[in-house]
Amino acid sequence: MTVASTSVATTAAPAPAGAAGPPATRKPSLILFALPALLFFLVFAIVPLLGVIVLSFTKWNGIGAIVFNGLATWQDTLTRPTTWNALWLTVRIVILSWLAQTPLSILLGVFVAGHQRYRQVLAVIFFLPLLLSSAAIAITYKTLLDPNFGLAAGLNIPLLAQNWLGDEVLVWFVLIFIISWQFIPFHTLIYQGGVRQIPKALYEAAEIDGAGRLKQFFYITLPQLKYTIITSSTLMAVGSLTYFDIIFVLTTGGPGTSTRILPLDMYLTGFRGSEMGVASAIAVMLVVIGLSLAMAVQRLGGKGSRGSQMDGM
Amino acid sequence: MSATSRRSFLALSAAAVGGVALSACGTAGPGTGTGASAGAGASGAASGGAAAGTASMWALSGQPNEGIVKNSVDAFNAKGGPKVQVDFFQNDAYKQKIRTAIGAGQAPTLIYGWGGGGLRTYAAANQVEDLTSWVNATPAIKDRYINTVWNAATVNGKIFALAGNGTQPIILWYNKAVFDAHGAQPPTTWADLMKLVTLFNSKGVAPFSLGGQSRWTSMMWLQYLLDRIGGPTVFQSILEEKKDAWSDPAVLEMAKKVVELVQAKAFISNFASVAADGNADQALLWTGKAAMMLHGGWTYGSMKANGGDFVSSGKLGWTTFPTIAGGKGDIKGLVGNPANYWSISSKATAAEKEAAKAYLKDGLLAKDEAAAFVKSGTIPVVKGVEAQIDQSADKPYLSWVYARLNEASSFTQSWDQALQPTPAEELLKNIEQLFLLKITPEQFVTNMNATIGK
Amino acid sequence: MNNRNPRTWNWFGGVAGWLWLAIIIIPIYFVFVTSFKTTSTYFGSNPLALPAPFTFDNYVRVVEANFIGYLVNSVIVVIGTVGPLLIFAFMAAYAIVRGEGRLIRFVQRGFLLGLAIPVQATIVPVYLLIITMHMYDSLPALMLPGIAFGLPLSILILANFIRDIPNELFESMSLDGCTEWQKLWRLAFPMTQPALVTVAVYQALLSWNGFLFPLILTQSPGKRTLPLALWAFQGEYATDIPVVLAAVVLTLAPILVLYAFGRRYLVSGMTAGVGK
Repeated sequence: MTVASTSVATTAAPAPAGAAGPPATRKPSLILFALPALLFFLVFAIVPLLGVIVLSFTKWNGIGAIVFNGLATWQDTLTRPTTWNALWLTVRIVILSWLAQTPLSILLGVFVAGHQRYRQVLAVIFFLPLLLSSAAIAITYKTLLDPNFGLAAGLNIPLLAQNWLGDEVLVWFVLIFIISWQFIPFHTLIYQGGVRQIPKALYEAAEIDGAGRLKQFFYITLPQLKYTIITSSTLMAVGSLTYFDIIFVLTTGGPGTSTRILPLDMYLTGFRGSEMGVASAIAVMLVVIGLSLAMAVQRLGGKGSRGSQMDGM
Repeated sequence: MSATSRRSFLALSAAAVGGVALSACGTAGPGTGTGASAGAGASGAASGGAAAGTASMWALSGQPNEGIVKNSVDAFNAKGGPKVQVDFFQNDAYKQKIRTAIGAGQAPTLIYGWGGGGLRTYAAANQVEDLTSWVNATPAIKDRYINTVWNAATVNGKIFALAGNGTQPIILWYNKAVFDAHGAQPPTTWADLMKLVTLFNSKGVAPFSLGGQSRWTSMMWLQYLLDRIGGPTVFQSILEEKKDAWSDPAVLEMAKKVVELVQAKAFISNFASVAADGNADQALLWTGKAAMMLHGGWTYGSMKANGGDFVSSGKLGWTTFPTIAGGKGDIKGLVGNPANYWSISSKATAAEKEAAKAYLKDGLLAKDEAAAFVKSGTIPVVKGVEAQIDQSADKPYLSWVYARLNEASSFTQSWDQALQPTPAEELLKNIEQLFLLKITPEQFVTNMNATIGK
Repeated sequence: MNNRNPRTWNWFGGVAGWLWLAIIIIPIYFVFVTSFKTTSTYFGSNPLALPAPFTFDNYVRVVEANFIGYLVNSVIVVIGTVGPLLIFAFMAAYAIVRGEGRLIRFVQRGFLLGLAIPVQATIVPVYLLIITMHMYDSLPALMLPGIAFGLPLSILILANFIRDIPNELFESMSLDGCTEWQKLWRLAFPMTQPALVTVAVYQALLSWNGFLFPLILTQSPGKRTLPLALWAFQGEYATDIPVVLAAVVLTLAPILVLYAFGRRYLVSGMTAGVGK
């Protein structure tokens, strides 16, 4: 199949960094390749999304008639303290979970990338939390954290019998811990892959220059992991926007509203509080935030760059 | 080259999509039956209801109720007339699913609910049938039930649901062994209760178990407090959405009593971390770590099953919530879940509705089903089960509940079910903050008043 | 590892590794151990103690609750979702990285839009859509939205990876007269293996554990997936913890077996080098 060049405006392709080759051939738009994905996406994601956007301008309790409400729903949503609280909490969880997970995942990834036998055995076990569903994990931890019958009583350590789920500060420690527990294995895997790809030649050269392990880590490992960090961070950031299952089962947004992040706020407002219009507005906010986040992370990684880190090797 | 490439491209996409499409095609909506006799689909499919329609029914999973309902439906279907097709769902899952289904016009014929505010929403949206005239014309139904259960099924004087399942009042449970060990008696007045709190705290036993993390458990306290202080009419005004109904002085006093309780350490320490959904709060009672517990009647069954010999050896005690001096409520007032309710979807076809009505008349809480409920440890909300209770292994408890039910001066429905969903959600949030002493009683009143009319 | 020096053993790494192991193991141990306890002895005993009496009852109950059927359904749904998802996402990612033109740029931004669509928000429109397409209560109903929602993130990850493939390799294939289609499968596909494996694992787990779509879009017991089985033991007011945990273990088991066998492939797939 000759690729149909259906590009609307064919500009001369900018010379890619580091490539010496024939002058810019007319690059095909390759839109056909993206067609199946586009189709699915349009029908099952975009159309519902449009539905949600429309709903955000209505007042609907989910059962009765849908009443057009103009901007009033948006006004209501944006003036509610819970919305801003939820927004702030969402920002907090994205930042905190990144801070908790990334350094640990990098270190663990480097650790597991080593070829020692015992490390491979550990790698198998490290992966286990990821295989459990969020609901299962939440149920498990909820039971373990019970001040009277949980781990505190089991290990006989009174210090562990805190008000874990009832105290506004402690509950965040718990939350970040559990989320990290569940997802660090995944990011460890990504970093393991990333580390194994670093050419040994670089380390050998550094050895010769007399650089110690710490210097090697900061001057070789980390920079070479740049794209891996971008990938992992994107997954993490986008993922944390949609943390729902864990928090829903664990605290349902409590105590009070201290863990009521935006996705949870949306669900509770819509399906428990029966305010589908407001919930839809919150949903739109989430989409916008997700979009901005993704674009920001991409830009950080040099979105426009077509070059590869491997060029010139 | 190009030909094979194009072919492989098409083949690939076809395989991907085809493989997906080949796995069983689905149906047109929840209303259409799968398998057995398929009633007409509820989604505008103009296949027209043939002969006798089949009513679809969604009920809650979990024993013993699931087994009882299933047997009831099977027995009804065996009669040879109209049929009912029942599917079971877990509680939270069901709540999510039914709202989505109704909202999309795809509700099952028989809708399971809790009456009260939820039912009011359905009725206001014309999603459920008005059963008033039918009930009035069918004495078999009208006289079947104990009077108190009609309240939650009635909206603006019209009946929109029939009661099913068992009644679940909130009961003050206590551990007899712990009481005997410290020479205590179950409380009949508020003063008694506070004295017990001091007594048990001094002996290192938590006075009350509380699953504070689950919010609705704390709500049970508010329900009884308000009933005893202001009588059932206060909450009735709130239900009727009268402006500033929460400003009734009884409400403020109720909130202040909560603060009093928390400050007196009446509840187990760290109660805000104890979750009811794992039965951790009940375990506190039967292991003797707590002396008393305010909880629903359903815990009898689970304490019996999980507490070892706690129930069978007679260590479990039960009593009514004490009166409060100067309060307008009396000791006969009950709070809790009077029953569960079955409504008929107004969007179902005529044939399906007939099938549903037939079931409600002849199948629901028929003699066998009522007996099964008694056997499982709950009181079905119908008259005439004294004989079954007499023969039950749980006679002491069941006859006590039945007596309370029959002499009840009022039966206020659980607030989170009685209220409309929007204020109900606000209520739960505020309750949690009140118990954590994060808001003052005055703030509680203000916050709740703001929800009126939403 | 980067350090070839045998004398300076990485004690810090070693200790940290074992510490992390303990953190991972304790909750998992708890899950296993509790699944063999009876509900009545569960609260009386130390949560970490071994079961006494030891019972298989919980597992029997789970299997009796049509566990195998749910398992089969879950497997079908996961394969039916991740398979097409990978193919479509890969092709689209290639188009975004290697393609030119306003249209493809527009498409790229369009996909970014789908990154954070909260599934719970779109459930009502999706529900209506599925009903209109007469696919309610079928397994494909679970696959199609799953594919659609998984596309944005997958495309993003894959695109980032494809971008890493040196242009020189593409150029040399062009010189050989290869079409974009051939470059797609002969060059990009093998080189993108690590990312493909990452995406496959991530999406497979999401699909395996997802419960909102199965809940809303299916009804009859014959069409339910594993996460719904977990809920079968949660009553109206409380959960029977040991039984639920037995269900959790059984849900975990197939993936564990898969992981044990596929781990080598998984790891080598993740580390398939670019020009090593």
